[in-house]
Amino acid sequence: MATVQVSEAEKVYILHGIRDDLRVDGRGCEDYRHMEIETDVVSNTDGSAKVTLGHTAVLVGIKAEIGKPRPTVPNEGYLEFFVDCSANATPEFEGRGGEGLGTELSNTLYKVFNNKHSVDLKSLSICAGEHCWVLYVDVLLLQCDGNLYDAISVAIKAALFNTKIPRVHISTDEEGGKEIELSDDPYDCMRLNVENVPCIVTLCKVGHRHVVDATLQEKACSVASLIISVTHKGTVTCTRKVGGGSLDPESIFEMTEAGKRVGKALHAPLMKLLQQEERLGKKKQKVGFLG
Amino acid sequence: MLKSKTFVKKTRSGGVMKIVREHYLRDDIWCGSEACTECQQESTVLQKDACIESNLCSYPHYLIPDTNVVLHQIDVLEDPVIRNVIILQTVLQEVRHRSAPIYKRLKDIIHEKEKHFYTFTSEHHRETFIEREPGESANDRNDRAIRVAAKWYSEHLKPLEAETDGLKVVLLTNDQGNKQKAEESGLLVYKFEEYIKGLIANSELVDRLALSNDDKNEVTSSKVLFPEHLPLSRIQAGIKSGSFVQGTFRASRDNYLEATVFVQGEGEDSTEILIQGLQNLNRAVHQDVVAVQLLPRNQWVAPSSVVLQDEGTAKDDDVEEEEEEKALRISAAEAARKTTGKVVGIIKRNWRPFCGMLNVSQIKESTRHLFTPADRRIPRIRIETRQSSTLAGQRIIVAIDGWPKDSRYPNGHFVRSLGGAGEKDTEQEVLLLEHDVPHQAFSQAVLSFLPKMPWAITPEDMVKREDLRQLTVCSVDPPGCTDIDDALHCRELENGNLEVGVHIADVSHFIRPGNALDKEAANRGTTVYLCGKRIDMVPELLSSNLCSLRSNVERLAFSCIWEMNHKAEILKTRFTKSVINSKASLTYAEAQMRIDDTSKSDDITKSLRGLNKLAKILKRQRIEKGALTLSSLEVRFHIDSETHDPIDLQTKELMETNSMVEEFMLLANISVAQKIYDEFQECALLRKHPAPPPSNYDILLKAAKSKDVAIHTDTAKALADSLDVAKVDGFPYFNTLLRILATRCMMQAVYFCSGMDSDFHHYGLASPIYTHFTSPIRRYADIIVHRLLAVAIGADSTYPDLMDKHKQSALCNNLNYRHKMSQYAQRASVAFHTQLFFKSRGILNEEGFVLFVRKNAIIVLIPKFGLEGTVFFDTKDKVSPSVVFDEEGPALTVQQHTFHIFDKVKVTISLDDSNIQHQKIRMALTEPVIPGVSVPVPDAAPQAKKPKLDR
Repeated sequence: MATVQVSEAEKVYILHGIRDDLRVDGRGCEDYRHMEIETDVVSNTDGSAKVTLGHTAVLVGIKAEIGKPRPTVPNEGYLEFFVDCSANATPEFEGRGGEGLGTELSNTLYKVFNNKHSVDLKSLSICAGEHCWVLYVDVLLLQCDGNLYDAISVAIKAALFNTKIPRVHISTDEEGGKEIELSDDPYDCMRLNVENVPCIVTLCKVGHRHVVDATLQEKACSVASLIISVTHKGTVTCTRKVGGGSLDPESIFEMTEAGKRVGKALHAPLMKLLQQEERLGKKKQKVGFLG
Repeated sequence: MLKSKTFVKKTRSGGVMKIVREHYLRDDIWCGSEACTECQQESTVLQKDACIESNLCSYPHYLIPDTNVVLHQIDVLEDPVIRNVIILQTVLQEVRHRSAPIYKRLKDIIHEKEKHFYTFTSEHHRETFIEREPGESANDRNDRAIRVAAKWYSEHLKPLEAETDGLKVVLLTNDQGNKQKAEESGLLVYKFEEYIKGLIANSELVDRLALSNDDKNEVTSSKVLFPEHLPLSRIQAGIKSGSFVQGTFRASRDNYLEATVFVQGEGEDSTEILIQGLQNLNRAVHQDVVAVQLLPRNQWVAPSSVVLQDEGTAKDDDVEEEEEEKALRISAAEAARKTTGKVVGIIKRNWRPFCGMLNVSQIKESTRHLFTPADRRIPRIRIETRQSSTLAGQRIIVAIDGWPKDSRYPNGHFVRSLGGAGEKDTEQEVLLLEHDVPHQAFSQAVLSFLPKMPWAITPEDMVKREDLRQLTVCSVDPPGCTDIDDALHCRELENGNLEVGVHIADVSHFIRPGNALDKEAANRGTTVYLCGKRIDMVPELLSSNLCSLRSNVERLAFSCIWEMNHKAEILKTRFTKSVINSKASLTYAEAQMRIDDTSKSDDITKSLRGLNKLAKILKRQRIEKGALTLSSLEVRFHIDSETHDPIDLQTKELMETNSMVEEFMLLANISVAQKIYDEFQECALLRKHPAPPPSNYDILLKAAKSKDVAIHTDTAKALADSLDVAKVDGFPYFNTLLRILATRCMMQAVYFCSGMDSDFHHYGLASPIYTHFTSPIRRYADIIVHRLLAVAIGADSTYPDLMDKHKQSALCNNLNYRHKMSQYAQRASVAFHTQLFFKSRGILNEEGFVLFVRKNAIIVLIPKFGLEGTVFFDTKDKVSPSVVFDEEGPALTVQQHTFHIFDKVKVTISLDDSNIQHQKIRMALTEPVIPGVSVPVPDAAPQAKKPKLDR
């Protein structure tokens, strides 16, 4: 994980600031940095989104392919996650440096997103027990400036919103043989319901308080953080503690409550933004990677 | 100048995959019009004064046809009258997608300069490219793209109106919806029919219009005659599950209500399914790929032996059918029943333009007529024409447009006229078209690859060549041969051995792989020799000049040189590219005379004698190994030099020198075959002749038995030996007849690629390996063999296709097909000339032999003319005599007389031209005299008939 060196004096400064609800860059404890979202950035995926949060930048691409459903849940599709830590993000990722982080991230994402409460997996089923859609979610870290989880989760939600799965029809002949037929209209596609897709809020315990969207410096001052995935209704679907330090139950409770509050507040503007972008249709000006 | 903008176009194909292609738009695509000053084009295609005289459009105009117009009305677009047409890229792409042959024809038109067809790359033009909108089908999008492009053109040309007398663009479409939308956006738009009918002084174009859907409705009654064809998806599912089978539809030549579907099974085995009755045939046409459903076993029928032809006037769509089919049912013996099925759908139509003649409708004013194709397997076609009176008696070409389920006949349209029936040129054209022989003049692209004249051998040519100019080489060919592809030499070496060389024209030096010339030659596959006409495989400059090994000129050759001892044993073989200078071009007769003339002892004669001596030994050796000498009668016509009519017939004579040349050609072919196979195990092009299955010999064995002669067919050797000893006293012609029969038992020799087959044996020549090397001017296979050999000896470089066994196998298939077709065409040409010959002769009385005995007829061979004909014993109008057929004999007893194979009979020969399309030689029995069957011997003055029969 990308880290920065912070001197003792700096730590004290940051710590004291947070105690007074005033962070180094002027934010309050529960404020996010400036966030930018753009969807449909990679044309050869079925859905994609790019999110920048401060200097953190992630790109998510979703490819839908036809696969076989898992035997235990024959009438559901599933998601697969892969996180690629590009050495562009930080030199530490060079070679196989990013592999550990990548696996950790993808495991967490799998837990958070691949369940029927987050995504309507039933809608991914094509033919029970035989065919279903498998969504391959590829996350590419372009730049690391702290708070990867939150940025990735927002990007995934945006990408899922943007995903257009070609509509297929199952035709059956007299002998019961099934054939998948594709519509020839490229606009004839299925959209996913992303209402219940959670966002991840990472809370960093700094001193006695906790902050959301910690920068790398703040992260260096923290001993442990809590990852909470929250739906738009404020339901917590998953929590996870990361970091070496310990958290007492009371602060866990406090942090969860704060997470719920922040998460709930995050969903509404996100959805509004996504819908707004969608309405622009072709008139939308593309920003891409150079903008 | 180039300002490109990136767009992305999404397509989806096959599996569920998203494919993204970049699509670049540009602003430097010009309009192609001569009148335009705005576009910075270097050359223009469309004329400034684009006038087609028309009632509808009195101003100069360009035409923009939509896809369906091109697809259905290509015959009209091909007419020279239609000029200045803009083919949009959208249309071109759609046509290409929908029909490859029409795409090819369209491309040909575009390449023709006089037609002024311009391709406008609308899909890449910044202002005419459009993206598909939500809810729009691909077709709608293309229609819109066409309208947008048409609109662009009309606006582009508007400022020029003053100087161009109001030049406009006219959109042609047959789609009502499209037309309406175009009108709304202010475009000039007409239906294609409407436009063509509006043309002044081009009324015959109207005939060529394909019938569009709404026209068809009025033609036919509302009654549904045929079951609906299943959609392709159902057919595919059915084939997958095994309830339907896929096969090629082959209509019966003799019975229009019967057909077989040939189903290619796995590997070699294949089956045939019988289809009987109009309903079951269900509008399939010969050569279509169809899906067939098998009928339950109790409905299986036997193929009828009745000859049924769809004749007479157009049948009403509903009546009579019952009666027609009744005739079929009679002869269904239990045992003879075959797998029977019905056609449920058409997978691929294989319609081509058909040659034939018009049956003019009885109603004088009617414009609908029936067309009878020359090929009896093709159903009659209903066409619409106003020129029936001119077209009657002419050979015409008609294309099928469709076959609606409520019509008894398919609907088609007139394409072009070939000329009067019975005229030599017309008939030749017909037989070339019917046998799919490519016979157009060579295109400019092909000719551009010919060497520039005057041509001479350059020092570079000499680098890898041996100089054999000093050798006494000569060629021996039939008289009048201009494409000499082989020459020979023989000389004594200092060590007492003989050096024999076979020099073959080095055609592969001139035809380089992959260019247009090569592709054309590969497609033609072979030169086709018709009576009095030769359809060349390569342009004449090569075939009759640069490649022809004429005497006293320097020519490039590929030589195969052996060192032999006097017992004709090969001591050394080598191959080399060379330069030769033939000292003499002889005919077989001339060469024979030189050999026989003891007073001559020049180099050429000595060389010929040496060759002749060795050839005799080689032939003996070959026959000892079991090579077959078979016989078929070949006929030569003496053609009148002025009228080109045949004036005499003569069977070909064989001389010693014929077999001398043949022997060395065989030897060269075998040597080369061995060499290229040693060198390229996987991709040598060889020729094989499979041994016939034993059952093929049945006829031969039965025939021989009837004369108490034993024939052994276990091996080629046994067959050859037993044929040699088969003689009947007082019947000298017997042996020849037997050999003719044996020839009929043989299989077809075929080209194949050594990597795709394991059986290389050549049965007829008794050689373990064989190929064709010696006639590259007239056979494409030889060119490939030359290339392989050149690579093997390091004289030329290779190229990928040469080493690809699948590509080579595909090439072999084409060559085999072309060879077969050229043989058929050749036979048809001989048959036609035979008819011409007998036409001028009236009725002749000749002696012949019974060659086969059939159920109701005997087949008689007239050795004098090499002519075969059938004598029928049941005629339609007469009471048939009592006929008893004995299958074992085989013998046929008519009244009291019994006919056996080889019986000598006398027949009259005359031309039956009652059916002008299928003129045939009619034979009638004069001896033995059977009352009620035989005819009286004709008067001795057949010439008297001549004036009447003359045209």
